[in-house]
Amino acid sequence: MIRRSLLALLCVAAPAAAELLPFTDAEVRRILSHGPWPMAWTPDPSNRVSGNAAAIALGRELFFEPRLSGDGSVRCASCHIEARAWQDGRATAAAFAPLERNTPSVHNVRFNRWFGWDGAHDSLWAQSIRPLLDPREMRSDAARVARLLREDAALRARYETAFGAAPPDDDEAVLVDAAKALAAFQETLVTGRTPFDEFRDALARGDRDAAARYPLAAQRGLRIFIGKGNCSVCHFGPNFANGEFADIGVPFFVARGAVDSGRHGGIRALKASRYNLLSRWNDDPTRRTAAKTRHVIAQHRNFGEFRVPSLRNVALTAPYMHNGRLATLHDVARHYSEIDLDRLHADGERILQPLHLDAREIDDLVAFLESLSEARAP
Amino acid sequence: MKRLLAGALLAAADLCGACEPALEGAPLARIDSPRYVLAFRTEPARVAVGEHFALLVAACGKDNGEPPSELRVDAHMPAHRHGMNYAASVEPLAPGRWRAEGLLFHMPGDWEFLFDLRGAGPTERLSYPYRLE
Repeated sequence: MIRRSLLALLCVAAPAAAELLPFTDAEVRRILSHGPWPMAWTPDPSNRVSGNAAAIALGRELFFEPRLSGDGSVRCASCHIEARAWQDGRATAAAFAPLERNTPSVHNVRFNRWFGWDGAHDSLWAQSIRPLLDPREMRSDAARVARLLREDAALRARYETAFGAAPPDDDEAVLVDAAKALAAFQETLVTGRTPFDEFRDALARGDRDAAARYPLAAQRGLRIFIGKGNCSVCHFGPNFANGEFADIGVPFFVARGAVDSGRHGGIRALKASRYNLLSRWNDDPTRRTAAKTRHVIAQHRNFGEFRVPSLRNVALTAPYMHNGRLATLHDVARHYSEIDLDRLHADGERILQPLHLDAREIDDLVAFLESLSEARAP
Repeated sequence: MKRLLAGALLAAADLCGACEPALEGAPLARIDSPRYVLAFRTEPARVAVGEHFALLVAACGKDNGEPPSELRVDAHMPAHRHGMNYAASVEPLAPGRWRAEGLLFHMPGDWEFLFDLRGAGPTERLSYPYRLE
């Protein structure tokens, strides 16, 4: 009896022995493809102040500046809250009026190919103009933005340092420059390294002891993620996002009789935008940055597709999906486990299938997803 | 010896009515349809998920026939039943030679290039499987 009690006590007290699952060569290749992190990055050629320190400082100031908004009460940072991983924790956004979509984090946004849940913008600076002008968000206009940058002495000085000249007389040109400074600032918001990155790099250098320190549940979840879950097909590469769009069976009704058409509407808006990369506002003289805009096509299956988000820091950005419909990562795992194929609008596409995960597998998948996040501050 | 072997191969090709597409650079593949032979390569040579790439394509007519006058290029993932999110634009470089721009493979897996060759007579479709890791 005493011996049994002692054994039980030892089992409770001793840390679990570090263990490394026997990943196959193919699995290791897939795991390694999710790094290294952080990714290499070069400035955005479509934005002449991308990477410019003075523009980054101006952009940071503007990001927290309420006078950009229609009544001086709303900042970019009102919804993209720094302490909440640059999102707002709400299911759907609300500023001057409620919106239909979730506020995405702006962490790692510089790695996106398309911007917004529907990809209606092809550059971060064009995306940064949209909430300024949206009457439900910041309810501003070019004249208001230009007046602020011309008349506020400190902002005007910062503008001159960043752009090498005083704000021009053309209000729209000043609006676009403000958005380019906002983009320069947002490009600096990159997530840090995570437990997964330590594991991945340990595998890369063949350090089995270090790799075995990655929790076993996360290893099992990772195996589902790159294996039977097929998650890494869309959540691809170091940023865990392939930069494109998918219909994953989340309902897209927004009100009685109204739907959010997602990518389908996004492509239409992109092609019609006066700020797209085919416009005169693109600073890239080669126009190579506009190749995606020239070649993207709207297809029937785009209806109800939304941008595949990065999974970095995903544990810090609940709720989930384009409309914030799922509250927790367990809800997300269960969504994919029991996905309703009848809800897909995929023209016969066959990527998603119900995974029918058991409770432990769902916990494992969540453990893996949590390991993609930086440690929370104590 | 090498020259002899090359000569023998050319002669054999000629006997079969084949022709040699005038592709600049080493082809990724050389495929043929009843009337045409097509060679192509990607630019850059290594295609990466989520990166735009171009195709350089050349085709010629078998049995001393005319090369196709028009080329269309596309790609899809047969197992997934979807294509690309981008439409390639094709620019003729010379008779029987083209450059296709704007292709992008947005996920890893088994893709298939599709080439529609149009000349006198019905359009001929050629395909080539491509595994992207």
